[in-house]
Amino acid sequence: MTELLHPYDITQEADIMQPLDFNRRSRLKHVDRTFKSEIINIIRLTEMEKLFQVRILDDTARERFSFRPGQFVMVEVPGYGEIPISISSSPSHKGFIELCIRKAGLVTTILHKARRGAPIGIRGPFGTHFPIEKMRGCNILLIAGGLGLAPLRAPIFHVIENRSNFKDVHILYGTRQPSMLLFNYQYEEWDRIADIDLKVTVEHGDESWTGQVGMITDLLDEVDIAPKETYAIICGPPVMFKFVCNRLTKEGIQMNRMFVSLERRMHCGMGKCCRCNIGSTYTCLSGPVFDYWTVLNLKEAI
Amino acid sequence: MLFKTLSKPEFRNLVDLLLGSTEVIAPKQIGVNNDGKPLHHYLPVQEFEEIDLEYEITEYSAKSYFLPFRENLSSCRFEDDDWTQEIHYRLQPRVLMGLHSCDINALLKLDKVLAGDRFPSPYFISRRRNTFIIGIDHYPCEGGFCQSVGADVVTHGFDLYLTDLGDRYFVAINSDHGYNVLMQVDAKDTTGQDNKDYLEARQRIASKFEPLNMHNLPNLMDIEFESEVWKRWGKKCLSCGSCTMVCPTCYCYGVDERVSMDGREGAKVKQLYSCNLLDFAAVAGGHNFRADRETRLKYRYYHQHRGFMETYEEPLCVGCNRCGRVCLAGINPPEIIRDLQTEDQV
Amino acid sequence: MKYLGIEPEVLKIAVFDFTGCEGCELQLANKEETVADFLKVLDVVNFREISSVEGDDYDIALIEGAVTRGDEITRLIQIRKQARLLVALGSCACFGGVNRLKNVLDLNKVNREVYGKDPKETLPARAIKEIVPVDLEIPGCPINKDELERIVQHLIWDIPFQFPVYPVCFECKQRYTTCIFELGQLCLGPITRGGCNAPCPAGGLGCYGCRGPAADPNYSEFFTIARERGYKKKELDEHFNFFGGFEGVG
Repeated sequence: MTELLHPYDITQEADIMQPLDFNRRSRLKHVDRTFKSEIINIIRLTEMEKLFQVRILDDTARERFSFRPGQFVMVEVPGYGEIPISISSSPSHKGFIELCIRKAGLVTTILHKARRGAPIGIRGPFGTHFPIEKMRGCNILLIAGGLGLAPLRAPIFHVIENRSNFKDVHILYGTRQPSMLLFNYQYEEWDRIADIDLKVTVEHGDESWTGQVGMITDLLDEVDIAPKETYAIICGPPVMFKFVCNRLTKEGIQMNRMFVSLERRMHCGMGKCCRCNIGSTYTCLSGPVFDYWTVLNLKEAI
Repeated sequence: MLFKTLSKPEFRNLVDLLLGSTEVIAPKQIGVNNDGKPLHHYLPVQEFEEIDLEYEITEYSAKSYFLPFRENLSSCRFEDDDWTQEIHYRLQPRVLMGLHSCDINALLKLDKVLAGDRFPSPYFISRRRNTFIIGIDHYPCEGGFCQSVGADVVTHGFDLYLTDLGDRYFVAINSDHGYNVLMQVDAKDTTGQDNKDYLEARQRIASKFEPLNMHNLPNLMDIEFESEVWKRWGKKCLSCGSCTMVCPTCYCYGVDERVSMDGREGAKVKQLYSCNLLDFAAVAGGHNFRADRETRLKYRYYHQHRGFMETYEEPLCVGCNRCGRVCLAGINPPEIIRDLQTEDQV
Repeated sequence: MKYLGIEPEVLKIAVFDFTGCEGCELQLANKEETVADFLKVLDVVNFREISSVEGDDYDIALIEGAVTRGDEITRLIQIRKQARLLVALGSCACFGGVNRLKNVLDLNKVNREVYGKDPKETLPARAIKEIVPVDLEIPGCPINKDELERIVQHLIWDIPFQFPVYPVCFECKQRYTTCIFELGQLCLGPITRGGCNAPCPAGGLGCYGCRGPAADPNYSEFFTIARERGYKKKELDEHFNFFGGFEGVG
C-alpha cells in the first residue's frame, strides 16, 4: 500500500511546544489545556456566594499568569463542567487569584461543595479589561449592584495599590438586602486606609440595618461629579446599566468614559462557541468590558 | 494555479489508488425520499462504484468531517481525588471528494473563525490539514443561491478541483499535495482546446443561476431589526436546530462534561449546538437573552448576513439552501431575504 | 470515590413497580459494561429485578408504572411519606403511558374483554403526579440508561440535572437520520423532548412522543405541517395519545 498522504501532527508545531499562555491569542495552540490549580482557601461571603482562592500548581505557569482588571477565567470542575468567572483579586498579586462564585447552576453548586485542597482547572485570562491606565489623574466612580462587586474588586485593588494616580474615588454599592452584601469585611479598609468614599444602600433593610435604604441611583445624588475628569465603571444586573448610565450621561460624562461589564453564558471563552454573542459581537473577545457607547450600538445588549 | 486534464479511466485509477491507500469520503446515494428523489450523504466508501459524483446536493454538508457533531476536547483520569488531563488531536489523513464549490467556500469561511489569528482551534486545524480535498463543478441545485453570495466558484481551499468535460476532467491543482497525488496517474498538460472547453463548461453553469437580490443586506438587517418579517417567520420556527445542523458554516457549540460510571474517567465533550434552540443564550439563574423563537431565528440570519460581514467582509452563508430544504416549517433564506428586501418598499 | 475532597453519599434507593411492563426497571439492570459500577453507588434496598433484599430503609423511591388500582393509591401515599425524593421512572409513571389508552373506553367493557368472567378492580390510569407530588420525572419508554446514569451521578452529588430542552429532531440530525416526514410518515419528533438520542426515527419509525413535550413546543406550526402533508386528526390523535405525555394537545 502506497503512502499517498502524510499525517499532519499539530503537536509537532513549534508554537504548541511553548509554555501555555492564554495572553498569546494568535499563537496559542493547546486552547483546551487547563492550568491545574488548587483551591487553597474558601471564604464564605453570604448564603449564596463564596470566595475561592485558587493557585495554579505549576510554578512557572503561575509566575507567567497575568491578567488585567475586568478579565475572566474559565473554571473547570473536570467531569462536571466549565464556566466563566471574573477575577476578583488584585492584578499585581502573584500567588493566587480570587474568584467570587454564586451558587446558581451545576458547576457552581458542585464548587460550593468542594473542600480546601480540591484540584480544579483554570483557563485564561480571557476578554477585555477596564482601561484603568487611561483613568490616571482623574476621579473614578465604581458602581456595583449585587454580584457586580466581584468583577469590580480587581480595579478597586488596582486603585488602592496606585492610589496617588487617581483623584477622588467613589464606590457606590447596592444590593437587595443587607445579608447579600459582599466583602463587607473590607469596607472599613477601603474607607480608612485607601481614602475611598464608599456608599452602600439596600433595597430592603432589616431590623439591624442602620444604613441607607433605596436604589443605587439614589447614591449618585450624594456625589459631586466633575464630568470632564471622571471615569465610571459599572457592573451589575442589565436593568441597572440603563438607569445608571443614563443618569451619568445626564451628569455630562461621555459615554466612552463609562465602562460596563456584561454577563453572558460562555462555553469557550475564545470566540468560537457563539453562546455569548450579542448580535454578533463576542462578549468573550470584544468584552466583557465595553464602553457604554459600544453597548448602545449592540443589538439586544441590555 | 496549475491545470491538467485527466481522462475518465485515469480518474478512476486515481480514485482506486486513493482507496487503496487511505480512508475516502465521497457522496453516496443512501436512498430516495417519498417523492422518489435520490438522497445523498458524504460517507466513507470502499469501491469506486459507491461514489456518485452526479449528485445534486447532500442532505448534510461536509462540515461534520471537520466539526463533528460530538467531539472530545479532552479526557480526564481520576485517581485518589486528583486528576490528569489528556488531549488528542486527529492524526490520520483522509480524502474528502466530490465537494461542490459551496462546501469548499464554507470551509474557507470556517478557516477564518477557527484557524484565524485569535485562538486558532487545534482540533479543527488537525482535521483540516489531514484532509485531502477533491472538489467538482456542478450545475446550480434547486433553491440554491450560491452565486448571489459569491460561493459558486472557488480559487483555493482544495487540493484538486474537477470540471467535467465529457470524456475527461479539467483539473485545477491548488497544492503540492494535490500535484504529487495527481502525478501518480497519467495526467495530461492542458491544450488550447481543453481551456476552451473548460471556459464553455463554466459559462454553461454560470448561465443557469437565478440571482437573488442581496443588495445592501447588512444594513437592511439593522433597519429591519424590529420588522414584521421576523415575527411572521419566527412564529413558524420549531426551534429544533435542524437548519444549523445541516448548514455548512454554522459552528456554534456547547460543552458538556461526563464522568464514567466507575468515576475513573471524565470527558469534556463539545456538541455542535444551535442558536435556534431555546436555551442557547440562557444564563445560570434562569435569564434567557433570546427567549422567543423570533429573536433566535433573527439572530441566526443576523450573524450570517450582518455580523460575519462586519468582521470578514463576506457573509457566513454560501447559498446552498440546505437549511431551507431541511426545515419542516419551510423557513428558507431566499424567501426571508426577499421579504426583507420588499418589506418597506413602496 | 472521593472527589473535590468529599466522599459522596451512597444513595439508598428502593424501586417500586405499579402498573407497567417493568421494562424501565429492567433498564436499571441493563448495560452490562457499567451495571456493576452503577449498583456500587446505590444501596438498593428493595428491587426485585436485581437483588432479593427487601427493606423499608430508603431515601429515594423510584416508581415505575401508572396507578390503576385503589390499593396502589394507598401504597403510593405510604411511599411518599417515607421517601426524601420520589422519582417517576418512565412514561407510565410520568404520564400514565400506554395504560392511559383505556381511559377513553368503557372500563367495564375493557375489563370483560381482558379478564372475561373474572373481572379485576380497575380505575382510569393515572400518572404518579396525579396522586402525590413528584420530585423528579424521568420520561421514556423505556427510560434511557445513559441518561439515568447521569441523573444518578447528579443525585449522588446533589447537583441539579438539566434535561435537554431541544426536540428529537436535533438528535436525528446529529446522527444523520433522514427526516421521517421526508420518507412520508408522521413523526412527533419536532415537539417531543430529546435526550433519547432518537433511536426510533433512526430505525425508520416516526416518534410517538414517549418523552412528552419538548420545552416550549411549537404546536400550532406542528399542526400546520401535519395538515399540509395530509395527516388526519385520527392519525395525529393516535400518536398524541399513545404515551399520554401530550394530554390535552390535539
